[in-house]
Order: sequence, then structure tokens, then C-alpha cells
Amino acid sequence: MQVRIRQWLVVLALACGTIAIPAAAQPEPGSAKEQAAQQQTQPGNNQPFWSDVRGGDNPYQTTQVRGIESSILVQPAGETWRQLRNGPITIYGGWMIVAVMILIGGFYSWRGQIKLHDQPSGRRILRFGAWDRMVHWGAAISFVLLAVTGIIILFGKHILLPIFGYTLFAWLAILAKNIHNFVGPVFAFCTVLMFVTFVKDNLPKAHDVKWLTKAGGLVSGEHVPSGRFNAGEKAWFWIGVTLLGIVVSVTGFILNFPNFEQGRALMQQANVIHAIVAVLFMAMSLGHIYIGTIGTEGAYEAMRTGYVDEVWAREHHELWYRETVANNQGGGATNPAAASALKEGWKA
Amino acid sequence: MARMKFLCDAERCIECNGCVTACKNEHEVPWGVNRRRVVTLNDGLPGEKSISVACMHCSDAPCMAVCPVDCFYKTSEGVVLHDKDLCIGCGYCFYACPFGAPQFPQDGAFGLRGKMDKCTFCAGGPEADNSAAEFKKYGRNRLSEGKLPACAEMCSTKALLGGDGDVVADIYRNRVLKRGKGSEVWGWGTAYGRPDKGAAPPGAKS
Repeated sequence: MQVRIRQWLVVLALACGTIAIPAAAQPEPGSAKEQAAQQQTQPGNNQPFWSDVRGGDNPYQTTQVRGIESSILVQPAGETWRQLRNGPITIYGGWMIVAVMILIGGFYSWRGQIKLHDQPSGRRILRFGAWDRMVHWGAAISFVLLAVTGIIILFGKHILLPIFGYTLFAWLAILAKNIHNFVGPVFAFCTVLMFVTFVKDNLPKAHDVKWLTKAGGLVSGEHVPSGRFNAGEKAWFWIGVTLLGIVVSVTGFILNFPNFEQGRALMQQANVIHAIVAVLFMAMSLGHIYIGTIGTEGAYEAMRTGYVDEVWAREHHELWYRETVANNQGGGATNPAAASALKEGWKA
Repeated sequence: MARMKFLCDAERCIECNGCVTACKNEHEVPWGVNRRRVVTLNDGLPGEKSISVACMHCSDAPCMAVCPVDCFYKTSEGVVLHDKDLCIGCGYCFYACPFGAPQFPQDGAFGLRGKMDKCTFCAGGPEADNSAAEFKKYGRNRLSEGKLPACAEMCSTKALLGGDGDVVADIYRNRVLKRGKGSEVWGWGTAYGRPDKGAAPPGAKS
């Protein structure tokens, strides 16, 4: 883009030059001047001229072949990209995911599933309306598809290729690439909906500090009251869904649509950020998925059916439970579920 | 065994684009794909030079190192080839290549990349030599017929040399000695490693 603007400026400058300014005023690139000076002292030394070979922004570097950056002879940043991707991103990124899995496995074998302390009451409260669940599962399913296909693209060569062989793995990788490319924009769209839908109940509150200092009682087993979302869920919302989600979406769009003729440098940088952020995102999501499924009794049912038991609500989200019950009594609805449904703005 | 290399003598290249045309004609490459191009430096200024560039068939090829399906391979003559049946069209080789060699025919909407195409040093692909399938995917296999790349053979000023690296280097050294200038072996350091660093082992990956 910059090159094109400069090319137009040169055309403009030349057009002006032919009318008003003598030809001697034509701008010369620095390297041409340097080259002329070099010829005086060291004839035959073309160093300044050759250093241009690696630059892409010289308007006097041209080619008749039309294509993305076709006038650039050497783009050396690709080597840096290769070293980063094949080195730290693949090695540390891969082991980080493995380490998080081991940590979670260790935690599960130590604490097991967090059960309810009291007997379930049988009275159910609506926690997630139809819209909430639709947005959550839209983002969740697209996230898992992107994570699995992304893992195949980044680590498959080292893990699956030796087992599957070239033909089968390439077939799988083509499938992975296409799923990744087409599901990506869906995830970006769901991320925006997620933010809009859940931002209200994720705004930080004073009681979140207490929750964080006690780590939610995750280790001690102590009861720490929280609102509709506890501080851990809020951290996942702000750091995971919002920050990592937006960064991974923006960089993903840069990589997904090469038809806008973005240069290699931008795509190399976007790919590095995309991969690092995606690995962090996957590592964080493992924690969320664990707590939301086998880690906590009743958590998966909440997002699956939308309803939680009254006891579950009291034990996990006490402040939200009280608020819901208070709204119920104030609003005159016959049961907490209906009150909650009204609060959600959705007809149950 | 010979180690095949390209060398473009910038003191001789006249930007006729004969190599580009020869390549397109020889391999019947699809529209929008350019395996070879000529870049002119300081175009229209004193000291203008042109260089013909394509895949340099690097010793430590970055495309090979980053390919997520490992579709690249190196022949015993040092030619870097790839298997289009395995290629997934991710574009990573394009990010990694310093020479801008990998090309992607557009395959569907929004610039979705098709199978990568690049210079084969006129050595075809994994299919049987000179088979119809090989020609369709990779173009002509001239090396198997005992011929050198069409671009270099066609070059009117013999600026572009392609063949056994030792022979190419000897021809070029002789030229430099006779005319007394132009000793930059353009792209050789990037493609084949700097002499002081020692060559990377063939097929090296990292």
C-alpha cells in the first residue's frame, strides 16, 4: 500500500516536474547517491546498490510481473518468522498445553469433582436463557473446531504425521485448513455477541477482590460468595474471550483474506501473534472447560439446559442467588425460575 | 552428483523477460502464477541493474522447514521439489521464502489459496518422469531428458546460468576476472549459505 502511494507520488512529482521544475530536480533515492559516491572512492563496489535488494519501498525497484510484492528481490524477515514458529512457538507452546493438561489432571485426582454440600432441593432457577446458551455454544463449538484444526496445522507434523503417513495426514490437514478458514469468521462473530451478551454481569465488583485473594476457595474448599459470575469467570471473560478473542480474530482475518494484497511482513507478524495468542487461549480454555464440565457438579447442566438447582446457585453464586430470589419476591412472580426468565428478558 | 544452482549475472541481464516467457511457455503455468520474474533496481537511473529471480533451490530451504504437511523434498541434485497432492495451500512457504518464489493460484472466493506452484528447476515432481500427470501439475521435466532449465537455456545474454553449481561458479569467476567487476553472486549467500559458515547439510530442517 505504502509502495503504491509512493509510486503515485513519484508519478505526480514527475508530472509536475515536466511542467514547472527542470529535470535535474527529479528525486534520487539515497542509495543511488551513495552508489555514485562509492564509485569515486571504490570503483566496482556496488554495496549501496545491493543493499536495496532487500528493501521493498524503493520506487525505482520495478518488475513487469504482477503479483504481491513481486518487485522485492529478498524479504529476509521470513527467516525470523521461521525461527519463531518452528522454535519457541511450537516447542514452548506445545509443552505449555501439555503442562496445563497435566496440572488439571493432577488437580482432578487430588480434589475430584466439586460436589454440592447439601442435597439438591429440586427447585430450579433459570441461569442462562436461550439466547445466552446459543451465543455460548456458538462460540464454544467454533472455538473447539478452531483449536483442534489449529493444533493439527501447528503440531500435526510432529505428532500425527509419523503415525498417519503422508497421504492420510495431508487429507486431514486440508480438511483442517478449510474448517479453520471458514469457522474463523464465525468465531469472531460469536465473540462479539459473547461480549455484548455477558458484559453486564462481568463488570468488576468489590466482592471480586475477596474472591480473588481466596482463589475462589478452589484450593481450600472454603465458600466465597460471588455474583452471577465469579472473579474467575470474569477473568476468563475479560482476558480470554475479550482480549485474546479479539487479538486472535483480528490476526486471523489478516491471514484468512490474502486477496487484499497485504504484504508478507504483516502476515508473518500476524501469524506469530495469532499462534502465541491461540496457544494461551487454548491453555486458558482448558481450565474453563474443566471447571464447566467434570470439575463442578451441575455446571455443565447449567449451560446445557439453562437451569440450576437452588442449592447449586446458593453454594456457587450466593449473591446472584439472593438477588434472583429478591427480584422474584419483589416482582411478584410465582417462582424463582420465572423471575429469572423475566430478568433475562426472555420468555421461558 | 552435481548440485544444481541458479546464478543471475546482473552485469549482463538486459531485462528482456525472455526467461519469464520461456518458463511460462515450457510449463504452461496457470494464469496469475509466475515462477520466474525479472526485478529491475534503480529503474531509469544511472547504474540500473536487472536480476532474474525464481526459486533458488536453497540448501537449507525455509519452505521445507515450515511446511505443516512436509510436502517438500530435495532431489539428489539439490533441487527442491514439492508434492501438490499433499499441499494444503496454507501459504506458509510464501511467508518463509526470502525470494517470493511460492505462488498460489486463486482457488475459490476471498483469495482462498490453491495448491502452491513454484519453479522446479525443470525437474517435474514426484510423478513418473515425463508422464502426463507430472506435466499437468509441475510442467516439463527437462532434467530427466538431460537438458538444463528452459529459462537459463533461453537467456539471450547468458546472464542467467542454471546447472551444476561448480560449473556455474567457474563460468562466473572467469567473467569477473576478464571484465574486472561485478563479483556479487546475488542471492547465493541467502540460498546456499555463506562460505565462511559452511553449507547446511542437504535436506536440513529446523
